Amino acid sequence: MKKILVAMLTAVMAFGFFQPKETITIKGSDTMVILTQRWAEIYMQKNPGIVIQVTGGGSGTGISALINGTTDICIASRSMKPSERERLKQRYNTLGVEIKTAIDGLSIYVNESNPIQELSLDQIKNIFTGKITNWKEIGGANQRIILYGRENNSGTYIYFRDNVLNGEDYAATMQSLPGTASVVNAVAKDKIGIGYGGAAYGKGIREIKVKRDANSIAYEPTEENVKSKNYPISRYLYMYVKSRPTGAIKGFIDWILSAEGQEIVSKVGYYPVR
Amino acid sequence: MLKRAIIFALIILPAINTRAQDTSRDDANEKVAEVKEAINGINETIAEMKTRLDALSKIKLSGYIQAQLTSSSGAGGFAGSMISGPTAVGNFQGGALAKDVSTRFSVRRGRLKVTYGADITEYVLQIDVTQSGVGIKDAYATIKDPWLRTFSLTAGVFDRPFGFEIMYSSGRREMPERTRMYPTLFPGERELGIKIEANPTEMMGFLSLFNLKLGVFNGTGPNANEVDNMKDVIGRFGASLPFVEQNIAIDAGVSIYAGGIKSPTKYIYKKINEIDSTQSNKGAFFGRNYIGFDAQIYADLLPIGGSSLRFEAITGQQPGTKDDNRSPSSLLSTDMYLRNFLGYYFALIQNVGLQHQFVARYDQFYPNKDANSKHIGAPESKMGLGDLAYTTIGIGWVYYYDANVKFVLYYDMITNDKVSPLTTNATYKPYKDDIKDDIFTFRVQYRF
Repeated sequence: MKKILVAMLTAVMAFGFFQPKETITIKGSDTMVILTQRWAEIYMQKNPGIVIQVTGGGSGTGISALINGTTDICIASRSMKPSERERLKQRYNTLGVEIKTAIDGLSIYVNESNPIQELSLDQIKNIFTGKITNWKEIGGANQRIILYGRENNSGTYIYFRDNVLNGEDYAATMQSLPGTASVVNAVAKDKIGIGYGGAAYGKGIREIKVKRDANSIAYEPTEENVKSKNYPISRYLYMYVKSRPTGAIKGFIDWILSAEGQEIVSKVGYYPVR
Repeated sequence: MLKRAIIFALIILPAINTRAQDTSRDDANEKVAEVKEAINGINETIAEMKTRLDALSKIKLSGYIQAQLTSSSGAGGFAGSMISGPTAVGNFQGGALAKDVSTRFSVRRGRLKVTYGADITEYVLQIDVTQSGVGIKDAYATIKDPWLRTFSLTAGVFDRPFGFEIMYSSGRREMPERTRMYPTLFPGERELGIKIEANPTEMMGFLSLFNLKLGVFNGTGPNANEVDNMKDVIGRFGASLPFVEQNIAIDAGVSIYAGGIKSPTKYIYKKINEIDSTQSNKGAFFGRNYIGFDAQIYADLLPIGGSSLRFEAITGQQPGTKDDNRSPSSLLSTDMYLRNFLGYYFALIQNVGLQHQFVARYDQFYPNKDANSKHIGAPESKMGLGDLAYTTIGIGWVYYYDANVKFVLYYDMITNDKVSPLTTNATYKPYKDDIKDDIFTFRVQYRF
């Protein structure tokens, strides 16, 4: 009898120990990886029964993973395209649920030694589409411009192309790099380089002021300017789930949108939505 | 002496040291040059590989295999029935069953699609490999306008731009087969011809909610050569309305088909027993004209997952023969039957969690809406099995094992209207009752 009781107790304890933890998988935007990892770390500390796995790869990769069913949540630095919603619709009969989690001012980086202080949206467009190829055309030194950008699976790449280049193609000479950190590193080492990326990565190089047109005032990508829309290149950072979130996923998303979750947004260098 | 030696040493040693430093600097410079050369070599190799990869990335391979087991409540080829006609057992569930066969394994579809896409052009070739052989499904080229990227021109063999079911890929469709009206009116789904398409991009704002497809085709189906000079016009005007905040989407479209079939004789049969025998009928074209409406509603309303409700109706005039209402792929050789038809269906697809779907469909097809099936075989009636109406109710379950594999369990309950109890015709007699032709399908699909 005693042996049976010990065995039962052991079994119950073992069951307790090996009770599977609930796992949430998150994949997508490289811009959002650090922010999402911070969220995940803190949320897991507060909720030991939940495991959150975060990987990057780019917004496009994350959205494909959501459609293919290989991730629970997609993080994206751009909104979903109609063609992606169409694929989601065909498989899950939904358009996906979009959650705005943070605001990001997309920065334009130049090397610290570059004398250029500000650019208009039109000038930025002409630089990245290859119409302006020398710094002297915009008041800088007589040196060619080296372009650094993101790979085409990146949400930042798509957002910048659609909203700053107005849908035009990037110049063929632009060097595509795998993450915003790589863009920052490249520009930091290249005196004649220029790149773009999230504000959270803008350390060690100079973020230039941007103005809507030649006659406007140029603004830095500060929280105040981004939130007031004075800084013209800002975007939401999104989370996408296939259908209305329930259970552990809902709990995590609700927490991200809470005051505590939004405080982490500020700490990482983005701007809260609430 | 010692003093001189020290002075000499002081003079000569730095020189020796400088020479040693120079030698070491030369070595370093040489090594840097070697490394630079090696890096240049690697860069060249990478550039060459990138060029090759860029070219290869334009080629996309996709496909799927559907292996299945079907089991019918009755065997094929029963006494008096048509072996391969529209009323044959299993004809609309993967192909007519052979005589005395009710259960079979088959590869319903074995598709391999190659797409080569350049900036504004696309080449597509798709083949279908099954136990019956190899067939071509798609072979077309598309060119887009380089300015707005909205208009495109497609030429070759491709899906007819009509309705929803044709363009909804068999690899994605939740039910094993299309509804009865589609293979009847559009055998093979595809057609030889040319079409223009307008798909406004997002940059065009409100207009991007609409699309238009319009084409001119032979009208003989995907695998037959043209047999007359009549060309058929097919088109669809569609709208896609996404309500993202509410997670609801409504897609809808209106389609038209305007074509014609040549009559081999002067006799044109209509309704129940009307016969038009005007001499000029022989060799004249009679309209093959359809109009269709389709709508699909997608909504994320239930906690178990997304739902979609689909509806489609097609009505119009279909030329055929006495016992066959399917669109002909060759010139008719017997008297033409000109029928006014109506077909429609409702379908429900309900996601249950992320890997399961419940599906149900109600489908009716009246090949001759001016008459009742009970007139078939009745005295004085000229009607044949081409006038026989059908109702099909299907229910099923789909399980998505992963992104590539899905399993489908589906049961079709097929009910034919009853022919005249007075008929003495051996072919029509079995249709005095409901034929045993319900079909269960178990399908495994691998898609990539």
